[in-house]
Amino acid sequence: MKDMTDQVKEIATKLLESGQVDVFMAWEKGDAPHQSKPFFARNVADVEKIIFDEYCIHNLSTYLTRFRDGKEKIAIVVKGCDSRGVVRMLEDHQMKRDRLHIIGINCPGMKDPLEAMKQHSGFERETGEKGLAIKCLQCMQPNPVIYDESLGEIQEPHFKGERFTEVKALEAMSSEERYQFFSEVLSTCIRCYACRQVCVACNCRTCIFDEAKPQWVGRETSVGDNFMYHIVRAFHMAGRCIECGECERVCPVNIPLMLINRKLIKDVDHYFGPYDAGMAYVEGGKPPLSLYKIDDPDDFI
Amino acid sequence: MKILKKNQLDTLWERLARNAELYLPTQKGDQSGFFSYKTLKPEKDTLMLDALNVYLSPKNIVLPQTEMMYSFTHQGQEINLEEVYEDPTPRIIFGLRSCDVKSIDRLDTVFFTRGFVDEYYRSRRENTLLILNACYHPGPNCFCEAMGLSPRESESADIILHDAGEEGYIWVANTEKGRELTGNIEDILEEKEISYPQPRPFTREVDYTGVAEKLKDMFSHPIWHPLSDPCINCGICTYVCPNCYCFDIQVKTRGEEGYRYRCWDSCMYGEYTMMAGGHNPRETGMERFRNRFLHKLEFFTERYGEPLCTGCGRCIAVCPTGINIIEIMEKAKGVEPSA
Repeated sequence: MKDMTDQVKEIATKLLESGQVDVFMAWEKGDAPHQSKPFFARNVADVEKIIFDEYCIHNLSTYLTRFRDGKEKIAIVVKGCDSRGVVRMLEDHQMKRDRLHIIGINCPGMKDPLEAMKQHSGFERETGEKGLAIKCLQCMQPNPVIYDESLGEIQEPHFKGERFTEVKALEAMSSEERYQFFSEVLSTCIRCYACRQVCVACNCRTCIFDEAKPQWVGRETSVGDNFMYHIVRAFHMAGRCIECGECERVCPVNIPLMLINRKLIKDVDHYFGPYDAGMAYVEGGKPPLSLYKIDDPDDFI
Repeated sequence: MKILKKNQLDTLWERLARNAELYLPTQKGDQSGFFSYKTLKPEKDTLMLDALNVYLSPKNIVLPQTEMMYSFTHQGQEINLEEVYEDPTPRIIFGLRSCDVKSIDRLDTVFFTRGFVDEYYRSRRENTLLILNACYHPGPNCFCEAMGLSPRESESADIILHDAGEEGYIWVANTEKGRELTGNIEDILEEKEISYPQPRPFTREVDYTGVAEKLKDMFSHPIWHPLSDPCINCGICTYVCPNCYCFDIQVKTRGEEGYRYRCWDSCMYGEYTMMAGGHNPRETGMERFRNRFLHKLEFFTERYGEPLCTGCGRCIAVCPTGINIIEIMEKAKGVEPSA
């Protein structure tokens, strides 16, 4: 993807040099060869650091919240999933379309630098090169849905097959089995809030989990408080998760967060759809649960 | 010298677990950390003694992520203390690395010195015995030596094991407590002269010399902006760190009953510095990021003479956005302080 790096750099130079943008959000090489990390170029001299390679997995659209109160013009490099995040930011009125210059890359799928770091850390029993990241193998939208200019050949989604197989297995469990399942996977949560921090849909200025007066959710790492955290987090994702899979990727204790998110995606689609979040930007567009319609179903309440 | 044959490990653990809560480095399901021997399921869990380390440090054993402090009842203005939960259960942490032993030393410094002894911490720590697994194969993110410790020696480890491969572990009792425990299990150990393993060199050259002094004048340095740009201000680094010790004290009440507990807190969170009245002195992510590294590399060294980092490399391996404390040291050294 050397060639892609050059193309991105060329665009960055053009935009920063002409003053069309103040910040150019892309990636730079990290400390390890299998590591790329988010990088914001602010002048032409920074451009030489920009790269685009198979480890540029991060969803940069989340970082737009940093600039929401400013006036800077921002260029952002997005893959298919990230572009849906940009739509999320626009629909949520966290960013104005005319402040953005979006460079869309038709994405062949990424490797996970975090997984690679762990593989090389010495902390893992079984090591070996990993292929594409799990989130990329589950990808349904490799090509950006919103962009000002696009790079690369149109890509086919990696995901083939039945989208909600795991969700259906979850639904088929008895409530006791489900309680058991969630108790197990959520009891390990260390409440690092990485899933919240990395999430583009989590763009509230004050998060309910940070409120102290009143304190809605306890801070104990107990099954009760962890359940409360994850249930509230999940509710807030309904109709808003753009399926970038970052929450699950960054979770240090491997909680199956996308399974929870997909259940909500399925339900929103079923009750209020057909709907997939962030698939197209329409000015004034809102996710289904931000709207009220007289014929909204209520029989499940 | 005393040798512990590897086929005696099970017998040893079984004996140690009779009188103490024993913790072993284990891959338990999706988690890798120090888990109680009693909870291990041989068919599902994997021992990680031969791995470099585990992701969750043994900090949790002496400073639990959530720890009950006391319970109470109240009627009107009158409050009755019901129970204080200091926990003196004897504990043994088996197979921890030098970086993690040193980090427990640093916790001791924090909780025992400067005029205040934290009794909750003391009751756990004084009853915890540390069995160090000397490190001969530093990993790609290891830099413990640069932070002032030896991967194979420790003053506060009660017993030091040296993995000599098929020959077994060389068993060195290093403290009075360690000698006492050795006396109790001596029948399992063999007497034999074998040679110590050859340590492999560190792959990464790190030099902490001068970093604390350099950072003194760098509070307002513009470099913190690009350094902190990728950081999402999650708490992973602070929670996997064996040295980070910040906690918050919280209360839960139900009717006339309640309890107070403490739980780990993270300087990465905005809520951490939120003050009564609503002012937040570290409003932005950059300020929190800067504080984390200044605390580790400068403030703590100024106060206690050693940095609050023991070079275990966990934060480097698990950061979702590739933040690297070594790189931060190098970059801090490389810039003009007044820039």
